[in-house]
Amino acid sequence: MAKDAKNWLKLRLAFVMIFFLILFIALFSRAFQLQVLSGEKLKNIAQRQHTATLQLQPERGMIYDRNGEKLAVSVLADSVYADPTRIADPVRASQQIAGILHLDKQTVMKKIIEPKSFCWLSRRISPDQAAKVDNAEIEGIFLVKEPKRFYPNGQLAAHLLGFVGADANGLEGLENKYDDILKGKPEKMAWARDAKGKKIFLRVVNDEAKKDESVNLVLTIDSRIQYLVETHLKQAVVSKGAKGGIAIVMDPKTGEILAMANETGFNPNNIGGLTPEKWRNRAITDYFDPGSTFKPFLVAGALEEKTIRESEKFYCEDGNYIVANRVIHEAQRKSHGQLSVRDILKYSSNIGSVKIAQKLGKEKFYNYIDNFGFGMKTGIDLPGESPGMVRPVKNWTKVDAATIAFGQGISVTAIQMITAMSAIANGGVLMKPYILRSVTDKNNIPIKMYNPTVVRKVISAETAKRLTNMLTEVVGAADGTGKNANIVNVAVAGKTGTSQKFDFSRNVYSRENVRTSFMGFFPADNPQVAILVILDEPQRDKWGGVAAAPVFKSIGEQILNCFKTNIRETPMFAEDKQSKVQLVSAQETILPRSADNNDESAVPDFRGLTIRDAMKKARARSIELKVSGNGWAVRQDPQAGRVLHENRVCKVVFEMNN
Amino acid sequence: MIFLKFDRRIFQHFDWTLLALVLSICAIGIINIYSVGFSVSERHFPFYVKQIQWIVLGLFFMMAAYLVDYRVICQAAYLIYGVSIALLIIVFFYGYTTHGSQRWISVGFFAFQPSELMKLALIIVLARYFDSHNSNEPYKLRELFFPFLIVLIPCLLILKQPDLGTALIIILFCASVIFFMGINWKSIAIVLVSGLVLLPVVWYYLKSYQKERLLTFLNPEHDPLGTGYHVIQSMIAIGSGGIFGKGFINGSQTQLKFLPEQQTDFIFSVFAEEWGFIGALVLIIMFMSLILWGIKIALHSRDLLGTIIAVGITALISWQVVINIGMVLGILPVVGIPLPFFSYGGSAMVCLMAAIGLLMNVSVRRFALQS
Repeated sequence: MAKDAKNWLKLRLAFVMIFFLILFIALFSRAFQLQVLSGEKLKNIAQRQHTATLQLQPERGMIYDRNGEKLAVSVLADSVYADPTRIADPVRASQQIAGILHLDKQTVMKKIIEPKSFCWLSRRISPDQAAKVDNAEIEGIFLVKEPKRFYPNGQLAAHLLGFVGADANGLEGLENKYDDILKGKPEKMAWARDAKGKKIFLRVVNDEAKKDESVNLVLTIDSRIQYLVETHLKQAVVSKGAKGGIAIVMDPKTGEILAMANETGFNPNNIGGLTPEKWRNRAITDYFDPGSTFKPFLVAGALEEKTIRESEKFYCEDGNYIVANRVIHEAQRKSHGQLSVRDILKYSSNIGSVKIAQKLGKEKFYNYIDNFGFGMKTGIDLPGESPGMVRPVKNWTKVDAATIAFGQGISVTAIQMITAMSAIANGGVLMKPYILRSVTDKNNIPIKMYNPTVVRKVISAETAKRLTNMLTEVVGAADGTGKNANIVNVAVAGKTGTSQKFDFSRNVYSRENVRTSFMGFFPADNPQVAILVILDEPQRDKWGGVAAAPVFKSIGEQILNCFKTNIRETPMFAEDKQSKVQLVSAQETILPRSADNNDESAVPDFRGLTIRDAMKKARARSIELKVSGNGWAVRQDPQAGRVLHENRVCKVVFEMNN
Repeated sequence: MIFLKFDRRIFQHFDWTLLALVLSICAIGIINIYSVGFSVSERHFPFYVKQIQWIVLGLFFMMAAYLVDYRVICQAAYLIYGVSIALLIIVFFYGYTTHGSQRWISVGFFAFQPSELMKLALIIVLARYFDSHNSNEPYKLRELFFPFLIVLIPCLLILKQPDLGTALIIILFCASVIFFMGINWKSIAIVLVSGLVLLPVVWYYLKSYQKERLLTFLNPEHDPLGTGYHVIQSMIAIGSGGIFGKGFINGSQTQLKFLPEQQTDFIFSVFAEEWGFIGALVLIIMFMSLILWGIKIALHSRDLLGTIIAVGITALISWQVVINIGMVLGILPVVGIPLPFFSYGGSAMVCLMAAIGLLMNVSVRRFALQS
């Protein structure tokens, strides 16, 4: 081969080599670009493609009352679903399943012929239905366990607790307010899945996802108080022919809600067919004219401003007082002449109040209304609170300024009323009402405690004391409007109220439809509980002193029976399960009531009772009482709940408190 | 007999480097195919076992192509070519169809793909032609008519199957050989212009799926779950391998079947996912070494015939590697071309082994001639 030809060949070979080398370098660069430069990005894409995350919802947290009584729990229930792609004979399947679940055959049929691979047929069915479905072994029909919310006490505190929907979301009340923490964060489990979406269970890609447990709520509610409040409220509503009613019990020193009841109640275990009308917690959502129960706040302001003294007399115009173009009357068309401030409260004189308000001046009056927390939300930890309605003072007419003095022409909520009342009981310090006492983990170890919150000091302790004094007379005096709330041996401070409801159709205040209320607290010298009772449109006994005050009294008496000295102490019979106040029964199928609780032969709990009441109770059960000491029962032998047979004798020791 | 005479030297100067290189690539391929089959538990006769069988069979053909002097083989060039054409025609009438394409002849226990044999035949026949029509001047179009014809006939038959990938490879490596032999500028211009004129005509005759593939290449996101799916999944698999890879049988995209055509056309993606950029680098360097070794053999060949054979084989392997890896990396359109020595497949393995045998043949004969 010639040298030239050889070189020419070499050159051509070199060219071929270089050509392919360039192509290979292109491959390198591309591989580098994909794997090194965008490796992370593509890794994420791959991750998303081949992992399926499964969310495991932790069991919803429980709700307890302050003594550890379960108010809301989660139990597992069976739900039925269908995989229509696996049903060979939809006609037969729908017939069978509709028969077991009492569903409409056509509806079921429609569901299971749809080209889907999943549809619910029935959620959270009863155990015996589930057993039937299981036994039927219908192809393509499956059972799955789902947590079901269960309220062991049925209606108890239903408005507070609210309820959860089909997919375990809190829809109302505390269930809604604290839905996030009750629910907890779902545990995420990642599975590998193949290109067809099939899960490859062997390859758990990522199990580091931490389980964020749900928490339990411990409420300030005492279910025993709640129960007796609900019972008495219901009785009153029924007996007075009222449309409804609200009752709140608060610890005035802390702002803790001990009980909050709405009549009529509902059972959160069965919310089918209920409307918001039923489940609305009217104690915080509804606002209304408070009526005479508002007068103490006026007097508080006037006293604090030193505008008036207790004994200062006002002429009450013999029942007719013209303000601007309107005649102000006394309630029930009474007429008063000269009344002291003390008597204005005692007799609940409208005209007297107007005069005090006029003397105080509307700006100052408004400031006190504002400081007592009216016209703004109290900030209670329940959903749906309303701020009420207080018109700005610059828009007040002379008539407004006058009628607001006796609680007409201003709108307040029940929670505002009791909170403001508690401020008077609490030496003038307004507390923020609250219902969540603590949050605990799964083992009931507290994670977070909620403490009382001071909102502001509204009036001085001195003023509060003087006002309390006057309010004690309203109840204590034989001719006081609140005399029906009087509890033997206990100084009760309180105020009645009856407000005319505004008739929106006629645009006037109605004479027939009233809202009657009583609010108060006791013992007056060291208030332990504040109670507000409101009856909506009672048909009999329209006046607060007659309709609402007795409810206050019976609730108050029972609370005194329950607690020896101090409500904040864990009540003494917490350790003695048998003598607990019997709660509203649970659904019998799940929580059977223990039989001996109502046993006539068992010794009742006498503790906390007066000698008289103890005797009465003992007589009812034909037990002979051996009394020693006087005051309230503190010890008894045998213990409450013990069963007596032949010898029906019980020794009870009574002591005076301080 | 010629090969008996040089018996001793043939084994003395055996090209161990080339064999080692090829067998290394094959070995990595087997490991890789094992990994692909790992998640398919129900298969009695796994792909990697079959692939080992093909390699062993290929080694026999390699030896056959090695032992007979390539000049002797080239004397039979037109015969081999004729047989290959005949087989392609048989495929055309009697071949059986998979994936909508008629490419295989059933030969007892396995299916044979004549288009693979055609590649070898074309290398031999082109070498034979240019060796006997040697000139120091660049070829004119008129002189290239015959080579064009012998390339065109099998191309049309293969396109008819249809197998665009193989036809494309044949055109590319044959064109490489012709360019290597030299072609004058005027002729290049004429070819290019007529090519451009023919392009719309070719487009017209392309199958709709082939058009889709080309469109997809231009914009893979154009149909991500359809025709673009393969490329996108391939790029995700390769990219997610990162620098060091996910490890043997740990390629999630492979094992979870996101990656299509895993043991054949997209085998490189599996490898790059599990072994990362480092693995891809090593494999590409091995192929590059193979190419350089081929060029070296071409350079040291004792005659032009050997050089052309070596260039042809080198070009064939290069183009297959470039097109396959370029395709799975998403820089070239998806055409069904296996990766030499790496993808699962009998015909390709056996024919490529024979081609390597031929390359060794060229490599060793220079010693044989010198003595």
